[in-house]
Amino acid sequence: MHLPDGLLPAGMALAGYAGAAGLVGLSLGRIRRLPDPQAGVPRAAMMTSVFFAASLVAVPVPPTTVHLMLSGLMGVLLGWFAMPAIMVGLFLQAVLFGHGGLTTLGLNGLILGVPALAASALWGGFGRRLPDLAALLAGSGAVIAALAIFAGLVLAGLPPGIDRGAERAALSVFVIAHLPLVLAEGVIVLAVLRILRRVEPRLLPHG
Amino acid sequence: MAERAGGLGPGDARVRLVVALALAFGMAAVRDLRLVPVLAVVVLVVVALAGARGGLLRRLRGPAFLAGGIVLALGLMLGETELARLGPVALRAEGLAAGALIAARLLAIVAVTVTLLAPVPPMALAGALRGIGLPGVMADLVLLTLRYLDELRAEIGRAQLARRLRGGGAGWRALPEQGMILAAALIRAEARAERIWAAMRLRGHGSAEAAPAAPVGWAGRSAVMVALLAALALVLIDRAA
Repeated sequence: MHLPDGLLPAGMALAGYAGAAGLVGLSLGRIRRLPDPQAGVPRAAMMTSVFFAASLVAVPVPPTTVHLMLSGLMGVLLGWFAMPAIMVGLFLQAVLFGHGGLTTLGLNGLILGVPALAASALWGGFGRRLPDLAALLAGSGAVIAALAIFAGLVLAGLPPGIDRGAERAALSVFVIAHLPLVLAEGVIVLAVLRILRRVEPRLLPHG
Repeated sequence: MAERAGGLGPGDARVRLVVALALAFGMAAVRDLRLVPVLAVVVLVVVALAGARGGLLRRLRGPAFLAGGIVLALGLMLGETELARLGPVALRAEGLAAGALIAARLLAIVAVTVTLLAPVPPMALAGALRGIGLPGVMADLVLLTLRYLDELRAEIGRAQLARRLRGGGAGWRALPEQGMILAAALIRAEARAERIWAAMRLRGHGSAEAAPAAPVGWAGRSAVMVALLAALALVLIDRAA
């Protein structure tokens, strides 16, 4: 779910860079307040590599196959490191694999980064009391939030005068096509966090 | 990826990155369909100067497919002037024009970025990001992610293969197994991260201690200036058209 180059006006792309830069700045500010900010970098990099690699694997989810987004899981596991890690992952995807775009890097960062930070907050609030529900919501909710931001940006940026009926039909197809991903991410994030809670609970920063 | 970064005078990845960004944003700002030939000229000049060889058309195949989809979708959804009708579906001129503009911008930007950045080794690109002022934490993230990406991809690939060889199921019931593979990869990654951090500390590593980047040469500065002027010219011509 990446916005390609050229789809939206340049002004929106620049605003996306500004928004993403703001969120990255906020995240880096919070990271600097940690007792040893550098200590988290190798861990965030390893996690970014795992998420990047896992998102390239096509997971068969009948009737289709999906590529996992994993922004909810990134938010839960990386906390404030999630936004910088997502920007790094998106940049590498754009340059190495041609997924997404260079001008839309900021917008794509917001599409994945905002849900990741929301998932982090959700896990921080409910992860200890209702871990399974929080995990499910972090996984599925992050995809739903990303879909909503993506659709909102596309609708705001496309040329005016699009036929309302056709627009509704296209949006319906878009949402239905992503339902398997919404459910699959919820199940996978739930499975991952259950295993981590049992086997390696120190990987979970809060909750 | 392993191609040598040749042509375009300076092989400096920072220059290539800034030139690509400037031209990409200049092209993204084009709103007039009549400027599409100008975009094509810019692409041809960049390809010629960068000394790009084969591979560009192959890398453009995916974006071309996407561009075709955008043209068709907007042709069906936007405008009043019908060009063709098949039952309830009508192809309209205004939609096709809007789609063609988006498709041209998309292909031109991808062509320029692929031409300029694909030949740069990923590690040089990571160094370039630090060179153009990326915060140290993020530059370190890029370097370490790149360093371990292939290894971790191979690990996850092996785990997927092993799951299939053991007769692991497919479909919805396999999702918890996929989660297990991911969790195992994360646990191994955490252990590896601890070793890396210990090694980094022993080497006295820290973002603040990074060596200053070498100054950009005259040719590099000229290339950046020309790219910025070309981007500005595209914007001004578009607004005047």
